[in-house]
Amino acid sequence: MTTRPAPSAPTLSSTTPTCCAEMAGMAALSRRGLLRGGLVAAGTTATFGSAVLTASPSAAASAESVLVVLSLRGAMDGMSVVVPYGDDVYYEARPRIAVPRTELLAKDGFFGLHPRMKPLLPLWNGGELAFVHAAGLPSVNRSHFAAMEELEDAAPGSARREGWLNRLVGTDSVRSATEGVGLISGAAPTSLLGRQPTFVTQAIDDIEIPGPSWDAARARQRERGLRTMWKGEKGVLGRAMRQTFGAVDDFAPARRQRSRAADYPQGDLGAALADAARLIRADIGTDVITLDQGAWDMHSRLGTLEWGQMIRNVDELASALATFFSDLGDQRHKVTLVALSEFGRRVEENQNQGLDHGHGNVMMVAGAGVRGGQHYGTWPGLSMGVDSDLTVTTDYRQVLGEIVQKRFSATAVADVFPGLHYEPLGFLRQS
Amino acid sequence: MSDRTTPAGRATTRVLPAGDRHIVDRLSYGHTPALARQVRNAGGGLRWFERQLTPRKVKDRGTGAYLTWFPSLSRTPEDLYQRKKSGVEENWEVMNDYQSYVILRRTYSQRQVLELMTELWENHLHVPVGADAAFTWRKRYGDVIRKHALGRVDRLLQAAVLHPAMLLALDAGISTWQHPNENLARELLELHTVGRGEYTEDDVKQAAQVLTGYHVDLWGTFAFSYSTADHAVGPVNVMGWKHANADADGRPAARSLVRYLAHHPATAERIARKLVVKLVSDAAPQTLVRRLARIYLEHDTDIRPVLRALVRSEEFRDARGQKVRDAGEDVVATHRALGVRVTEPGEKARGTGNGWAAHTLPTQCQRLGLKPFDWPRPDGAPITDDAWATPSRMLGGSRNHWLMAGSYWPSRGIVYRKPTAWLPQRRMRFGAFVDHLSRTMLGVPATRRVVVACCRAADVSASDVVHAEHPVIVHRLGFVLTTLLDSPTHLSR
Repeated sequence: MTTRPAPSAPTLSSTTPTCCAEMAGMAALSRRGLLRGGLVAAGTTATFGSAVLTASPSAAASAESVLVVLSLRGAMDGMSVVVPYGDDVYYEARPRIAVPRTELLAKDGFFGLHPRMKPLLPLWNGGELAFVHAAGLPSVNRSHFAAMEELEDAAPGSARREGWLNRLVGTDSVRSATEGVGLISGAAPTSLLGRQPTFVTQAIDDIEIPGPSWDAARARQRERGLRTMWKGEKGVLGRAMRQTFGAVDDFAPARRQRSRAADYPQGDLGAALADAARLIRADIGTDVITLDQGAWDMHSRLGTLEWGQMIRNVDELASALATFFSDLGDQRHKVTLVALSEFGRRVEENQNQGLDHGHGNVMMVAGAGVRGGQHYGTWPGLSMGVDSDLTVTTDYRQVLGEIVQKRFSATAVADVFPGLHYEPLGFLRQS
Repeated sequence: MSDRTTPAGRATTRVLPAGDRHIVDRLSYGHTPALARQVRNAGGGLRWFERQLTPRKVKDRGTGAYLTWFPSLSRTPEDLYQRKKSGVEENWEVMNDYQSYVILRRTYSQRQVLELMTELWENHLHVPVGADAAFTWRKRYGDVIRKHALGRVDRLLQAAVLHPAMLLALDAGISTWQHPNENLARELLELHTVGRGEYTEDDVKQAAQVLTGYHVDLWGTFAFSYSTADHAVGPVNVMGWKHANADADGRPAARSLVRYLAHHPATAERIARKLVVKLVSDAAPQTLVRRLARIYLEHDTDIRPVLRALVRSEEFRDARGQKVRDAGEDVVATHRALGVRVTEPGEKARGTGNGWAAHTLPTQCQRLGLKPFDWPRPDGAPITDDAWATPSRMLGGSRNHWLMAGSYWPSRGIVYRKPTAWLPQRRMRFGAFVDHLSRTMLGVPATRRVVVACCRAADVSASDVVHAEHPVIVHRLGFVLTTLLDSPTHLSR
C-alpha cells in the first residue's frame, strides 16, 4: 500500500546513498512497524535485521496514492446532480422538481450538471472529474442500513464481516493505524471494520494526550504521569497504550499542518475535508481516508433551483470539494476521490416533491489519474411507473476496483473485491 | 464510607475482598463506595448477586424518573414519525434521548445485574438505533428486553424477534407470501439462535415463509398488525422443526419456530459462549461453555441458573481483571468513580457545544468509538477485548476522563464533588491520599506505580502533606483524578 523504500533489502554494510535513503525509510519503519508489532526492541542498528523486513517489507512514511472515499449518506438523487436531460422520461417523471435543461452546466448532449455544481467546473474542464451513471449494488436493496452494509462489506457470500477499505489497507504487512483513517463523528463505517487496525476520529486535533493545553509544562507532567502509569503494562491494554503513544507521534505532523477549515463551507463535511487535507499534506503514509456527507434522504421537499434541500446539499458538496482539491499542496497528484451513495432514488417524484428509495445512482471520481471531463457507464433509459428505478448497468465494485487496480499497484482487485469479474471502465489512466 | 483505623492512626478506606470485588467488577457497571457497602451488608458478593437476580426485591428509587427527562421516549410510533416528517424532531434526536436514558439507568440504578443483562441481550438481539424507521419502536423494544432479561430465553426471543422494531430493522414488517424477505429469517438463525454452519439456505427460505404476515405500516401510522392475507401457508421444515402451517394466521407457527430454536443445543452453546466471553474471558473455556449450555437446556432456557453456575465457576474466579471495558462501560464507570450526579436537563441545546450533561452522555461514548446500540450491523457491537483496546478508544476515554476529572465538561446539569470532599481528613500525606482515592474510585489500594504516576502528573512528592488550601487540591486535583481514571484498573473489569 505504501511505497517501498527500495526494491531490495538493504544491507547494513553498504554505505551507498541508496542505503542511506533506505535507512531513513527503515527508521520510519522501526518506529511505525516495530514498536507497534513489538517484534524487536527499538533504537539501535541491531533492529535492522531480517525480522524487520519480514515484518513490514513495504513500510515507509509516504503513501504511493491516497484514496478519499466520500459516502453520501441517505442516498443522493444522482439524477438531480448529473441530469440525464437527453432522456425525456426524466422531465415527464418529475414535473415539479426536474432541473430545467437551460440551467444545466457542462452539457454534453445527454448529461448536464446541476447549476450548483459550478465550483467543480474547473476540475471538469481540466479533465480531473468524471461521472459513472447508473452504477450501484447488483441487486435492489432499499434499506439504507442494509444497503450500506452490503455496499461497504463488498464481499457478497463471504461469512466474514469485513469492509473493503480494511481489506485494501490490509493487503500489505504494515500494521499501522495511520494507513486507514475515518474522519467521522458516528460509528466506524463498515468499510473500515476488520482485522487491520484503522483509526477513526472526529478530528485530527483529537489525536493527542488530553491535558492542560494552556500550560505546556503542566501538560508534560500530566503526560509523564500517564506514561508512568502504563510503563511495562502487559496485555491488550498495555499494547493499545503503546500504540496510542505511537499514534500521537505518528499523527503529530498532521496536527502541525495548518487547518484551512475557514475556507470550506461550514458544517461536518467541510471540517472533515479540511482535516483530510491536513492529513494528506503531512504525508505520513495514509492510503485511505473515508468521510461522510449526510442529509441526502430527500423523501420530501427536495425542491427546485429556488428552494429545498437539494440546492443546499449540492452547494455544500461542490464548494467543499473544490476547496479540498485546492488545499492539497504538493500532494495533490496522489489524491483520488470517489463519492457514492448506498443506492439511488426513484425515477418519478412523489406527492411531497421528494423521491423515494430507488436503485441505480451516479458515482463521482475526481483527482489523480482521472480521465475526466466525460461520463462513463451505460445509460439504460428511464421508464415511468411509481416503482420505476434507474436500472444499474455498472456494478459499483467495477468503479472501486479500477481505482484499486490503477492507483494501488501492489494490490490485486480480487483481494479487495472477492468474486468480482473485473472489467474496468477506463476512467482512470494506468499509473 | 466505612473506615477503619490502622495502628498508625491513619484512617484507611475499606475495600472489598478480591473475590467480591471481582463479582461486582463483572456484574455491575463499576465500583462505588455505596455498592461496596451493599455487598458487605448482603453478606458477600455471591449473596449480593443472588439478590440482584430478583430485581423487584432491590429498591431502586429514582430510576423511573429518568423517563420524564425525555418526553419523546413516551410518544407513540405514529407521533414520532409525524414529528420527524414535519421537521419538529429528527429520529436521531429521539435515539440520542434513548441512549442517554439507558446510560443513566446503567449509572444510577441499584438493579445493576438487570441493567447489565438487558444490555447484553439488547446487543445480542441488536436493533441498531440507526436502522431505517426502527426509531419509532426502539424504546419499547428495549423495555421488552428488560422485562425478559433475567427470565427464560425462549420467551425473550419470542418477544424480541417478533417485535415491530426488529421487524422494521430486518425487513420482516413488509414481508409477504408473494415476496418473502429473508433478512430476519437469516439473522434469526445466524445471529439470534443456532449460528452459522448449523442451517442450510433452504432453512432460511422456509423460516422466511413462516415469518410472513407480520406487518408494520411503514411511513404511515407505524401501527403493528398481522395480515393473514400476506402469510405464506403450507408445510414447513426448519432444521427439523416441522409444521403444517395451514392457518392464515401464522403467528402461532412463528412463535413455535422461535421457541424450537431457543431450545436447540446449538443455541444453548452459542448463548453460553456469549455469556462466557462477556462475563469470563475471550478465550471462553469450552468446558465451561458446555456446562452452562447443559444447564440452560435443563432449566427450560431460564438464564438465572446459568448465571449462578457461571459466577461460581473456577473459570470465572481465575479471570480477575482480564476484561476490557467497552465505550459505554468506561463512560458509566467514570461517572460512578467520580461520584458525579447528573441532574434533570433543561431545554435541548442544538449542536454539540455546551449541552446538558444528560444529553451529552452519548457524545462521551462516541469519543471512545460507539454510542449505545449504534453499531451499524445486525451482529451487535463487539464484546471482545481487542475491539476495545485501540488507540482511538484510549484517547477518547482519556479525553472524557480529563474533562470530567477537572470538572470542565459537561458543565451544565451535573454536580461534581468539590475538591475538598475528596479529602478524608484535614491533613494527610499525598501518597496516602492517592491510596484513599484509589480505594474510593477504583475499589483497590494504590500500588507504588500508581502513587508515583500521580506524583508526576500533579508535580508533588508522596510525602508532601496535602490539605484544603494545598495547590494540588485547589488547582491540580484533576491531574490526579484523571491519572487514576486513565489507569489499567479503571479500563478493565
